[in-house]
Amino acid sequence: MAEATQPTTGQRLPPPRSEVGAIGWARQNLFSTWYNTLLTVVASAVTILVLVFGLRWVITGADWTVIGVLGGQMAIGQYNTEASCPGQNCFWRPQAALMLATAMFGMAWALAGGGVAKRLAIGVVVVITLFAFLPYSFERMGMDVRLLLVANIPAMLAGWAIARFTGMSGRGIVIYGVAAFIVTLLLLRGIPAVPGLQTVSVIHWGGITLNLLLAVVGIVLSLPIGIALALGRRSNLPVVKLLCVVFIEVFRGVPLITLLFMSQVLVPLAFPDDFHTSSLLRAGIVITLFSSAYMAENIRGGLQALHPGQAEAARALGLSAWETTLLISLPQAIRNVIPAIVGQFISLFKDTSLVYIIGMLDVVEISRAFIQGNAQYLGNAKEVFIFLALVFWVFCYTMSYVSGKVEEHLGVGGSPQATLARLGMEGTARP
Amino acid sequence: MKENMTDETIAAHDGPMIVARDVHKWFGNFHVLRGVTTSVDRSEKVVVVGPSGSGKSTFIRTINRLEEHQRGDIVVDGVPMTQDVRNIDAIRREVGMVFQQFNLFPHLSVLQNITLAPMKVRKWRRSEAEEVAMELLVRVGIPEQAEKYPGELSGGQQQRVAIARALAMQPKIMLFDEPTSALDPEMIREVLDVMRELAESGMTMIIVTHEIGFATEVADRIMMFDEGVIIEDAPPSQFFNNPQQERTQAFLSQILS
Repeated sequence: MAEATQPTTGQRLPPPRSEVGAIGWARQNLFSTWYNTLLTVVASAVTILVLVFGLRWVITGADWTVIGVLGGQMAIGQYNTEASCPGQNCFWRPQAALMLATAMFGMAWALAGGGVAKRLAIGVVVVITLFAFLPYSFERMGMDVRLLLVANIPAMLAGWAIARFTGMSGRGIVIYGVAAFIVTLLLLRGIPAVPGLQTVSVIHWGGITLNLLLAVVGIVLSLPIGIALALGRRSNLPVVKLLCVVFIEVFRGVPLITLLFMSQVLVPLAFPDDFHTSSLLRAGIVITLFSSAYMAENIRGGLQALHPGQAEAARALGLSAWETTLLISLPQAIRNVIPAIVGQFISLFKDTSLVYIIGMLDVVEISRAFIQGNAQYLGNAKEVFIFLALVFWVFCYTMSYVSGKVEEHLGVGGSPQATLARLGMEGTARP
Repeated sequence: MKENMTDETIAAHDGPMIVARDVHKWFGNFHVLRGVTTSVDRSEKVVVVGPSGSGKSTFIRTINRLEEHQRGDIVVDGVPMTQDVRNIDAIRREVGMVFQQFNLFPHLSVLQNITLAPMKVRKWRRSEAEEVAMELLVRVGIPEQAEKYPGELSGGQQQRVAIARALAMQPKIMLFDEPTSALDPEMIREVLDVMRELAESGMTMIIVTHEIGFATEVADRIMMFDEGVIIEDAPPSQFFNNPQQERTQAFLSQILS
């Protein structure tokens, strides 16, 4: 301050250190006061200790062979056992379904032309391919399994090429996605008339495949149902409004575990007597409805945050009530609550583990059962659960990352460029 | 009346553009419009003034049914304002509105803001709608902003886009609800210039504003609202130089000082 004797009115000065540069930033944020400095030192020490001892255990202390032994079951549960698939090797069916999914990532890449879709497609395929090179013996992980994992690379590229050269639209990808999901279910379930596709009972489906199936169904269906419920709750028609309020409050007011238990008894009542409902279907329905109730409240929050002038302007232009909702209110409402919606998706994905309560062997339950059933691995529970945590984290962080990028793309986030642009100073931001 | 809508339209063709007879409106217990009776002719420019809470904004919002009146009649271009959705839609197609807060759609580009209603309501083709939109953007002086989003524009530019958006529906009447009240002083002029040009083109306009200079220059009549009724309705010269009501004199002395 003392050197600023000359008046600097109107001069273009360099920004102060606290705005740019690592040292300035650290001084401002980490060492500004004596207690701030103390906190910085203590927190750094704790972090370093955790990292040193944690990493030492991960590299030298832990015994990761258990993951290799358990890996197949973590992926597909009891799907490819003598009990579920007698006389045949059924491992290729979930793997073929996986390739249908990676092809879709390729299509999304081609449609978006790069950016986060490209990174996601490449990232997914790289991670899948890495599993093919795990240093386990071929007895544990056969060459065929590994080759089918590597085959996700051409599958993704094929999806990219198909979308690129047929000029596929967003609607095309949605249609492909629905078709791929139906094919996936048929592949996993099997078709009795087709040799090599013998039926595999749904009770044998498990592992992360089960978690992903339930999560995909829940995510894809709970968003539109949630939107419908949110609109219904804001409706002027008393009966519609009441039904939506009751639905939302009932499903939000009961724990998911309770609902899953109840589903075993109550869902069959909704179907004809001779219609056999599998526990997978029951769980899917309950998880979807449970998530829809939360989704509805997220969307409603977004709708309520909108300035009433938006709808007024649309109505004044002559747009109908429906056009106003679909073209003006909903797009803005959803854009504003993307973080809450993705939070609900993440929560739903993690909650799929709760299906263990109705006897389904999801990735967590099958790992727990394995450790309890195999005394020689009892000491390896740490490794198993740390690995499980990592698996869940990778999926959830990916969702979070993608939603962050989508928000940035839609201009909701607050990058300095976006802020300047909003203030009409775009020109000055570029040197 | 509904059955004879076409007859009515033809019959009213030479009559006033807007007729309001004894219009009443309550917000809950608050009696905001207490019997408003007036009419606006084709190509007439009416400026509405009055203290806040006097009902002036509410009144112009009843003309396109953003507010529902509970007693009295409103007839717009021969179409009676009833509960019938077809009448309301027909009236809204002919009445453009510009708001104090612009109310542009932030998730749509400037061009999309303007073309949305013509494409959805008038069923124009995209190419047709975009051509008209570009002509309007030239008219309001910002054709180079067509691909930008509202958040990237200044307040004055946003309000000019809002005027273009309303004009794209080719309305017969334009309502302005304090169009410059949310603007910085240097941006007020660019919006008033556009409105002045629009007035010269023969548009029927009702304008709620505190811009007295603009009112003197453009208005055919100035209406003073107070406590839900029109207490003074006169040409600008008489309104400013020789107001009849004491309440008007007091109001003028406040805003002119």
